[in-house]
Amino acid sequence: MTLTETTSPGQTTTLSFELELSHPREKIWRALTEPRLLSEWLLPIVELRLEPGAAFEFRAPEQPGWDGLVSCRLLESREGELLSYRWVAGGIDTVMTFTLAASASGTRLSIVQSGFNEAQKQNFGGARYGWKMMTGRLIELLGRAS
Amino acid sequence: MLFMSAPLENEIFRALADPSRRAIFEAIANGETAVKDLTARFAISQPAVSQHLAALKEAGLVVGRREGRSTLYRVEPRGLEPLVDWISHYRAFWTERAERLEKLLEKMDP
Repeated sequence: MTLTETTSPGQTTTLSFELELSHPREKIWRALTEPRLLSEWLLPIVELRLEPGAAFEFRAPEQPGWDGLVSCRLLESREGELLSYRWVAGGIDTVMTFTLAASASGTRLSIVQSGFNEAQKQNFGGARYGWKMMTGRLIELLGRAS
Repeated sequence: MLFMSAPLENEIFRALADPSRRAIFEAIANGETAVKDLTARFAISQPAVSQHLAALKEAGLVVGRREGRSTLYRVEPRGLEPLVDWISHYRAFWTERAERLEKLLEKMDP
């Protein structure tokens, strides 16, 4: 496996990774969408419906400082190509996007975790804080202040 | 450790969730600022500015000092460190999960 972090330097609103995998896209898609398989590599999950708007959750054992829950809502699903869902953990609102593309060695999987777009924020309720507030700008300002 | 939400981090998020408070924080980050300058600049009442400053102070993001009759605020440089740590946690999380995914793919039926 080749894992490359592709986060731009100084970027604090998006984390992105690329993985070169010597497996067909269909198989990776299953690992991304079948609860039994997802539970094996990501976090425990019981059910996942691939319909936009569908809510689901990952439920890991509780840990100090984290109740173990990741509340999700499906944003977009294109079989074998793209899967995107909101990922809310510890009250912080982000979006996960997995993209699959054919590559020389098999499949390139890109994993991106980014800030949730405020404009899309609806019907999710609760006090949640978007990741995007941690803008590079704030960090940069801080660098100047210190 | 994984998903943060340690109380301090939540407090920082809460403090910065409010857009005007974030703007105030950014203004202070540009250099030490007196309360009255913030009031003038953001066209909000002094009690409102004080409330925002109290929240920022509580979250460890700014510190104030008296000078004569005014209070000057500056950014606490270590204030955002928990957020930076939080990003590092996720970076480590995804790196480790990517390895697990690869292992799973190896043993899955084709």
